[in-house]
Amino acid sequence: MEITDKRVSYLIIVVCALLFASCNKTETTTSLADWPVVISYLMPGQPINVKVYQQKDITDTATYGSPITGLTLTLSNGTQTVTLTENAPGNYAYNNSSFLAAGKTYSVKFTYNNMQVSASTLMPAKPGNYTESATSLNLPFTITTTPGVTEVPALTLKWDNPDSLYHLLVFKNDQDSPFNIHAYMNSAVNFTLNAKQASFYDVYYRIFNYLGTYSIILYSVNKEYIDVLSSNANTTSQKLTNPPTNVTNGYGIFTAMQADTVRLTLTQN
Amino acid sequence: MKRILPALVIFIVIYGNSAQAQQTKQILKKTVISHFFTCTLNQMLDTLSMQYRLPIFYDKDAIQSMDVNNRFFNESLRDVLKFVCQENGLQYWIENDGTIYILQKPDDLPHLKNLKNFRKDIVLIKAAPLEAPKGPPRHFDFAVIGRVTDQNTGESLPGATVKVRNTQVSTQTNISGNFTLLNVPSDTVALEVSFVGYQPDAFRLSPKNIDSTLTLSLFPSMNALTEVNINGKKTGVLNTDSKKVSVLQLAPSALDKLPNIGERDVMRAFQLMPGVSATNESSSGAYVRGGTPDQNLVTFDGFTVYQVDHLYGFFSAFNSNAVRDVELYKGGFSSKYGGRLSSVTVITGKDGNKKETNIGGDLSLLSTNIYAETPIGTNSSLLVAARRSYQGPLYDKIFGQFNTATVNNAPPSTGPGGGRRPGGNRGFNQVTPSSSFYDLNAKYVFTPSKQNTFALSVYNGSDDLNNSRDMTLPSFNSTSTSTALSIDDNSKSGNTGASLKWTSIIGRKLFANTLFTYSEFFSDRTRGTSGSYSDSGLTTKFFNGITEHNLLRDFSLKSDWEYQATSKVKLIYGGYGSLLHIQYNYTQNDTSKLISQDNRGVISGGYTELELDPTSKLHLQPGLRGTYFSPTGKMYLEPRFSGTYQLTKEFNFKGAIGRFYQYTNQVVREDIVGGDKNFWVLANQSNIPVSRADHFIAGFNYETDNFLFNVEAYYKNLNGLTEYSIRQTGGGGGGRGAFGGATTATTLTQDFYSGIGYAKGIEFLLQKKSGSYTGWISYTLGEAKSKFDAYGTDYFSSNQDITNEFKSINMYHLQRWSFSAVFIASTGHPYTAPLGSYTLTGLDGTKTTYLSISEKNGERLPAYHRLDLSATYDILKFDGIKTGSIGLSLFNVYNHVNTWYNEYYIQSNQVVTTTVKYLGFTPNITLSLKWK
Repeated sequence: MEITDKRVSYLIIVVCALLFASCNKTETTTSLADWPVVISYLMPGQPINVKVYQQKDITDTATYGSPITGLTLTLSNGTQTVTLTENAPGNYAYNNSSFLAAGKTYSVKFTYNNMQVSASTLMPAKPGNYTESATSLNLPFTITTTPGVTEVPALTLKWDNPDSLYHLLVFKNDQDSPFNIHAYMNSAVNFTLNAKQASFYDVYYRIFNYLGTYSIILYSVNKEYIDVLSSNANTTSQKLTNPPTNVTNGYGIFTAMQADTVRLTLTQN
Repeated sequence: MKRILPALVIFIVIYGNSAQAQQTKQILKKTVISHFFTCTLNQMLDTLSMQYRLPIFYDKDAIQSMDVNNRFFNESLRDVLKFVCQENGLQYWIENDGTIYILQKPDDLPHLKNLKNFRKDIVLIKAAPLEAPKGPPRHFDFAVIGRVTDQNTGESLPGATVKVRNTQVSTQTNISGNFTLLNVPSDTVALEVSFVGYQPDAFRLSPKNIDSTLTLSLFPSMNALTEVNINGKKTGVLNTDSKKVSVLQLAPSALDKLPNIGERDVMRAFQLMPGVSATNESSSGAYVRGGTPDQNLVTFDGFTVYQVDHLYGFFSAFNSNAVRDVELYKGGFSSKYGGRLSSVTVITGKDGNKKETNIGGDLSLLSTNIYAETPIGTNSSLLVAARRSYQGPLYDKIFGQFNTATVNNAPPSTGPGGGRRPGGNRGFNQVTPSSSFYDLNAKYVFTPSKQNTFALSVYNGSDDLNNSRDMTLPSFNSTSTSTALSIDDNSKSGNTGASLKWTSIIGRKLFANTLFTYSEFFSDRTRGTSGSYSDSGLTTKFFNGITEHNLLRDFSLKSDWEYQATSKVKLIYGGYGSLLHIQYNYTQNDTSKLISQDNRGVISGGYTELELDPTSKLHLQPGLRGTYFSPTGKMYLEPRFSGTYQLTKEFNFKGAIGRFYQYTNQVVREDIVGGDKNFWVLANQSNIPVSRADHFIAGFNYETDNFLFNVEAYYKNLNGLTEYSIRQTGGGGGGRGAFGGATTATTLTQDFYSGIGYAKGIEFLLQKKSGSYTGWISYTLGEAKSKFDAYGTDYFSSNQDITNEFKSINMYHLQRWSFSAVFIASTGHPYTAPLGSYTLTGLDGTKTTYLSISEKNGERLPAYHRLDLSATYDILKFDGIKTGSIGLSLFNVYNHVNTWYNEYYIQSNQVVTTTVKYLGFTPNITLSLKWK
């Protein structure tokens, strides 16, 4: 009995030792919480701005995290590399609008917390032959939807898209305080629609909640931006995933795009 | 009075001892008493004993003060005995040797039996011992076949031990209760039979009975009793089979001795043993040794069960009243089983009483449960059991706890990273969803001959959640049209299964089980608006929304054979074929099918295994399983091996190794608004691989009559793991994100992630097996890690990874009372936490907040612990037979907040964390009754 007891304890030790001998810890070099947030939209003809922030604590009520100042950001178009200047805390700018052109790949790089942060994006072609089927719409007071019957679009927007680029449609109301026709709904005045890789978009009456003139801006964009916008991150700890980003060692978005605009006047009478 | 006696002689049957109890019962029943007793109880019992040659035993000191003053006229001896017992607060109990014990309390029996053995002189009439051999032996070294059954119900008893007295020749009955005993030395030996919960018995062989199939019937042991058993056979509710590798056994009849929440649960009970995780309150599926529930094969009477639980996983789909026996193989299992990576749970349904009709049922705060069993004719029996929940307070509490997801209204869009508020008590149009579950078991057993048995078993169960209501919106317009609208929100899921099993004994050494099974799993969900639309007398029906339909059908044919070649060699082999048909449709607005999958696969193959006992101490079990899987067109070979070595009588070494493949996987469709839905997919050649595991298990146990110390270590490597999820964006209520400003169409993203993983650990169990106090403590040290390219290049902790798990199960038995205390403590589950947040401004000026998160599963939830208590009072009849119990259970007694998961909700750029909890303190009362 005594012998066997000793054997038992000996065996336990051996088994445990064998089983956990191979355990080794993986070193986490930098904390994810230290990663910077980069926001930049590159559009030809507009000044280049790259904003760099810290992440916020999850209990922080501010809109943005603290700006990260004193960085040296370089921007390259493949052949030429320029250094951006910090014109406001955390905002790094370059004021040569001819630097941006379609078909070139732009990369931004900087070092933060001894970490190389970088992102790159391709400037897409400008949308071509962007047209709308009507320049003004008179919205009906009630929208009769007959279930089972396909609705007729109120407006069709068309453009050329031979390369199946991604497109976004941003509806921006030009009025200072546009009239809300669905006052009880408190909808957003400006909104974005995902046209995906199509060359047209059918717009229905029901998406309009405000009257006045809208600028409908068609952006040719990269997939990285579509990914960020359509990210539907789960909010339970069972399935949290990092939101999509094209920034290496950081978060946020660094993307190029080109735009064209049509105008639409909405009335209701 | 005495005229009855001669007739009784014919009741003395050939099968030795067990007839003694029957004989005693017959005497009690048939003897008519007309007598005036006015004496002490002692004197009366002695008179009866002498007069009718009945072995009655009692403690003279205990009952000497009791008197009898009664006149009995034409009453049976049984009624007389019942009367005097009731008068004096006594009970009687007939042991299988025919002795009638007069008990003051149920626990007096072992004491009286000892006393009887010790003071043989005070016994007036001795119980007949096992009859002596009728003559000299005539046959030598032959084989006998037979069956071990329950004397009262006629049900066969699998796993019973049959041993030739005073030899090493022994065997165990197989799953049908049959056995073959080879090398029986002579035809005059006695066979000793023992089984958990039954009185051990002995049966004398004779030249006459050895040629036929023996039927050895055992009497149940007195129910409220935990007597010390001489041959070390365990009598607890949960046992570790120390002679096998990683096998757990459960006796469903003893489940009322453990705390329960609403239902006695055969699957949950296993969670109290080491190696099966106890901290997943939201799943009664078994997380075995770092595996997931879909890696656990569950069969009920032979058919595969694809959904093992009810009510969001809180209750298992199996009615304990319809279950006779459950075995869980935690790993390294026999080549007889396959198709899953981790473990196997074999559930055997009750056959139904072959002797008499019986009805019983349970009533708890959650559900009602009724069963009936009856013999039909002389050679068949039927059992029907049904269970249904009702929406009482307990049901609602559990429902509310586990159904935070089923909130009707979509809260205001908050952009990605925002989300629904747990509990979602905002918005309008809120109704209380109605939901329920039910299940039905039926089994018909037909035994045309001793060699052949046919059993038809049918199961049907479903969970129904109806969250529909009529829509109360202002009417749109117009006079000539009318629209009737209702919001449909239904979820229904369930199983139907059936098996037809033919058990046959061919010759003396060959057993066969052939099964034809059907199993169906469905999970349907409808969410949207339906109604009819009338325009100028023309009515059009329509549906706007989504419907989801998952249907799995499994037709299988299986044949298992057992050939007992010699006493040292047993060959097991068989073949199987399954046709799997899995449909998954996700339809929007009647017409557009977003996902339409219709996959069929054939899984067929064969297996063989040898059970070798080269010496009495060594047991080896090499096996091989080969499966052809049609979607990949490949053959999969699974070599298996397990062995045990008995170092001393108490000390056993054991080990197992094997390869396991899995061809079907359960995946999740994430639905933020409506709650996640599980469904099954078939592996294929492209994105869902056939997964593979290799098991390595080693351990030992030290077992005495009272204690068992068991240690097992395991290592599993896992290949071809799939994380497949379908994520819905847009559409009904899901329209969040930066595109949420306008009505968006539902889009579905299918994600397929493939990865590898491993699980390792060591389990310790110390169990006290007998006595008034029984129970065990167990400790498991484990690790389960996975590596998916989609999440990075490093291994991360799997969702089910638990480092330390400690369980203490204590049961104390006192007369009619049983008390139990269950304490469970474990490391918290790993989870992915938000580290920070950041906000992006979009092109239209919309500000969207995103969460940046930790490494995958980089954080741990707080430790899980809880204490459950229960007290059960047994309802015994005057003759000691248990006819029911009343049980009070208290779950999570000190109301510890155990975290299920956290939810994050963004409000004013701030991330608000809400902890979603598991059940707090929950009491329950269960009343169980049966007629006989």
